[in-house]
Amino acid sequence: MDLTELGGCLSSLSCMVTQTAAGLTIGMLLFLVASGLTLIFGVLGIVNFAHGSLYMMGAYFALAAYGVSGSFVLAVVAGTLGAALLGLFMERFLLSRIYGQDVLMQLLVCYAVILILDDVVKIVWGGDFRSMGVPDELRLPPFIIGGGIVPYFYAILFAVTAVIAAALAWGMGRTRFGRIVRAAAINPGMVGALGINTTVIYAAVFAIGAGLAGAAGALSAPIRSVVPGAGVSILIESFIVTVIGGMGSIGGALAASLILGFTRSFGSIGFPLFVEGAMFAIMALVLILRPSGLGGKRGS
Amino acid sequence: MSGGWLRDTAVAMVVLALFLAFELAGFRSSSLLDFAIRFATFGLLALSLNLLIGTTGLVSFGHAAYFGMGAYSFGLLMQTGAWSIPAAILAALACTALLALVVGALCVRLSEIYFAFLTLAFQMLLHSVISSWISLTGGDQGLMGGIPKPAFLGIDLAQPSHLAGFGVFCLLLSTVALRQVVRSPFGAALRMIRDNPDRAAFVGLSVFRYRLAAFVIAGTFAGLGGVLMSLYVSGAFPSFAFWTTSGEAIFMIMLGGVSVFLGPLVGTAIFLLLNDWITALTEHHGLFMGTILLILVLGLRKGLLDFIMEHWRARKGARS
Amino acid sequence: MSLGKKGAMGRRVLLGGTGAAAITGFPNIAFTQPRQPIKVGMPTILSGRVAQLGISSRNAIQIEVDRFNAEGGLDGRPIELIVRDSRGTPAEAARLAREMISSDGCEFLIDGEPSSGGFAVHEVVRETGTVTLHINSETSSLTADPRQRFWNAFRVARQGIHDSIAGGAYAANIAKTRNLRRWMTVSPDYAYGRDTTAEFVEYLKHFYPEVQVTGETWPRLFQPDYTENITRLSQGRPQAIYSCLWAGDLVTFTEQASIFGLFAQSSVFAVNMADYTTLQQIRNLPRGVHSGNRYLKNFPNTPENLAFATEYNRRFNTFPTNWSWQAATGAKLLMTALRQVGGTDPRQVAAKLKGMVMDSPFGADGKVTMRAEDQTLVGYAIGWGVTLSQEPYIEGMAPIEWSTIFQHEAEWKRSKGWS
Repeated sequence: MDLTELGGCLSSLSCMVTQTAAGLTIGMLLFLVASGLTLIFGVLGIVNFAHGSLYMMGAYFALAAYGVSGSFVLAVVAGTLGAALLGLFMERFLLSRIYGQDVLMQLLVCYAVILILDDVVKIVWGGDFRSMGVPDELRLPPFIIGGGIVPYFYAILFAVTAVIAAALAWGMGRTRFGRIVRAAAINPGMVGALGINTTVIYAAVFAIGAGLAGAAGALSAPIRSVVPGAGVSILIESFIVTVIGGMGSIGGALAASLILGFTRSFGSIGFPLFVEGAMFAIMALVLILRPSGLGGKRGS
Repeated sequence: MSGGWLRDTAVAMVVLALFLAFELAGFRSSSLLDFAIRFATFGLLALSLNLLIGTTGLVSFGHAAYFGMGAYSFGLLMQTGAWSIPAAILAALACTALLALVVGALCVRLSEIYFAFLTLAFQMLLHSVISSWISLTGGDQGLMGGIPKPAFLGIDLAQPSHLAGFGVFCLLLSTVALRQVVRSPFGAALRMIRDNPDRAAFVGLSVFRYRLAAFVIAGTFAGLGGVLMSLYVSGAFPSFAFWTTSGEAIFMIMLGGVSVFLGPLVGTAIFLLLNDWITALTEHHGLFMGTILLILVLGLRKGLLDFIMEHWRARKGARS
Repeated sequence: MSLGKKGAMGRRVLLGGTGAAAITGFPNIAFTQPRQPIKVGMPTILSGRVAQLGISSRNAIQIEVDRFNAEGGLDGRPIELIVRDSRGTPAEAARLAREMISSDGCEFLIDGEPSSGGFAVHEVVRETGTVTLHINSETSSLTADPRQRFWNAFRVARQGIHDSIAGGAYAANIAKTRNLRRWMTVSPDYAYGRDTTAEFVEYLKHFYPEVQVTGETWPRLFQPDYTENITRLSQGRPQAIYSCLWAGDLVTFTEQASIFGLFAQSSVFAVNMADYTTLQQIRNLPRGVHSGNRYLKNFPNTPENLAFATEYNRRFNTFPTNWSWQAATGAKLLMTALRQVGGTDPRQVAAKLKGMVMDSPFGADGKVTMRAEDQTLVGYAIGWGVTLSQEPYIEGMAPIEWSTIFQHEAEWKRSKGWS
């Protein structure tokens, strides 16, 4: 524990700026993955244990597109759409066959998908790690705010993730599609009775969730190494976010992602040896005090 | 009930006697011995997990935590040099039961998916504690320097043949014990909770207590599996408590089947043979295992033994 | 092993008698033909995050094995390499080692596992008495601790304590001239990271007592993001930073640290930077990072070393790694011992290996030695240099004298009670 350092940081503007910006960026990237996970659970009632693999595939698709085109924008689009298509395929051909069966089946299908995708990327892209590197046009000097460093690329990441989050909130809250999706989450039978094809809704929601994971993978490809098996560590953190935020609650996922982001950025100063432990501690605390999570309404 | 107990014990004794006779008759080979030890180890893991999944309806994705706990506590006790093997095994099982009690108390109240999530999360927590508490556990390098295996009652576990015999003995003992649990009124209550928790609560059963008891029993037997594993590799490693170990255990159950008591053991045998065969043939282990698993889950939608038993019952039903 | 060959082997294993043995787990009937191949088993990791370890080790050994077989093998007996994937689980590594010995009839093992699996394999061969060369385990205690030592196991890899002494001596030298006293460390939170960092700091302070470590941050192994560790370092404003992050983790750290301007703020000493897979994957390699040599084709700057890198590059279209030179050296040592003995008797081969001095492209002075006293490799090229932003990536490689290393290693062993 180094609480005096934490105190020193909290009273220093430069430190506050740097750590806040770092926490926001980490948190928002995490939110993209976790929101997909929680969306899929909320509507389809499926825990996509293979969600981390979709994140990894997004990064690989982006890497491939960047290699061909040299454009980061195209890379992110390719990562997002590629993961979404893969998600669509997974939902249509694998998961839709086991709707209504118990969790064990979901677990096994997802486990199989993780095993297969890890090997597929190894066959296609090789077993060694890859890195995209920050594209030259985005490699600009960092912003210095109040003496604190905010890297240019982090600012872009934050802006893009914030736009995606806003679009998601608008799409779910204000559009007809969003209303149908929310209705389907509560009572799919009723939605079906109204003449809406729930099969299409399910497939679309899964594809969107997968696309969000893919987008996170693609966006972080320049600053994180892309490697087979990269999905697992992301998956665990996203799980923690969904549990803290409440499964199925996108707002809860946002709050939880930011809490974890700040725990990481400020925790590395105040309690560097307990950052991982702190995340689990927060989760345990939430589960004891409010088992349905921050944003959860239904009792578990 | 006592009749069933006697019959099970008799069957187990016959199997053990056959195994030992086979060994003594000189048919033993080191690969067969290895297989016997691994079968006993993973068989315990899968069989105990099925008490949760098949009997109680709790899908745990964190069962490897207890496997790892058993292995580490046993290994650490033995390395002090002050414990005999049977005493250390009992103490390791007590530690594992305690861990299962704490985790279980936090988890068993939760619904299906939360339960799977949380057991997974606690397993990852244990895994990260093991990897970072280097002064105690040796971190990712595992417990180093081997695990001493002082002989007891004329049994010298440093010899593979003795270890294999001991492993088979532990497995048989646990199989008989678990079968008793499943058949007892306690087991009947668990099945009722699985099928209809509300009704169980209505007739006055404490769902929480029954589930917790099942969780602790399952964890303890998984711990015994971990003890055997640490004896086999003469060490303990963080991967024992990693999620992939849990994934493999579920895979084994799926291969065998959840509704037949011995299904997980059949699944364990198939899994081990499949695993050995695939690693010998290819380095694309995940691709092959994953595809086989998908075919099983989406094609049969149940374990192999479940499938066969259903067919068999259906045919019998059709005939009569 | 080329893809075609693997397919062919797959079929034969499926159809042949040995295949049936492998499938059922029963022992195979021993061949009695005189020209049967010498089977060498290699458990390693070919999948997941560290697949590169197994792949680049296997590649290097394959080069040596092909050369040995083309030269007629051991009196016409070729070496057959059996490589299997443990997927990073030590228990599976132990099983594979046993299976290779008992079912496949491997007479020797080249253990390609990193430390964790390496210790598991070590325990197996302690029991079976199979001559084994550990090529990827850098943990000092594997050979330095007398309790771990037995006649048939050898380490053909760099050793953590050698690296730490060399790194400490080099870093202290730089620190003295530039007056770098305030240090921080960022290393992965597991046994290798903890031990290596502690030993480095110990020797840094030994050679330059004015150094103070003002802070440390421990990302977990394979952590996907290092932002919080980097902001921690940038808040601490140290004059110098030490890291033993490696491979993909080091790439991620470097990419992120460079956009935070960390390399402009502090001198960075990253022992594991100078390995081609790492150097080539970092898109914007910062200049002036100090690194130990993992593998460099121009250190030692000899035609033999360059020839190895060129041959490797021609066959596999990539450059060797640190694991590659270790693997090649291990294979070469085993083959030399086999030829000298003229047979495969394990006791004789082990006796030859003990104390063997062999010409090697990777030796500090053209030779490497399998030190008899603790059965570990010494005399390999070890040095530190500074990164450039493009090829040849590292300049100013300063070799570290082995006499310095030996002297401090002996003291270290005494302090541990191991000598």
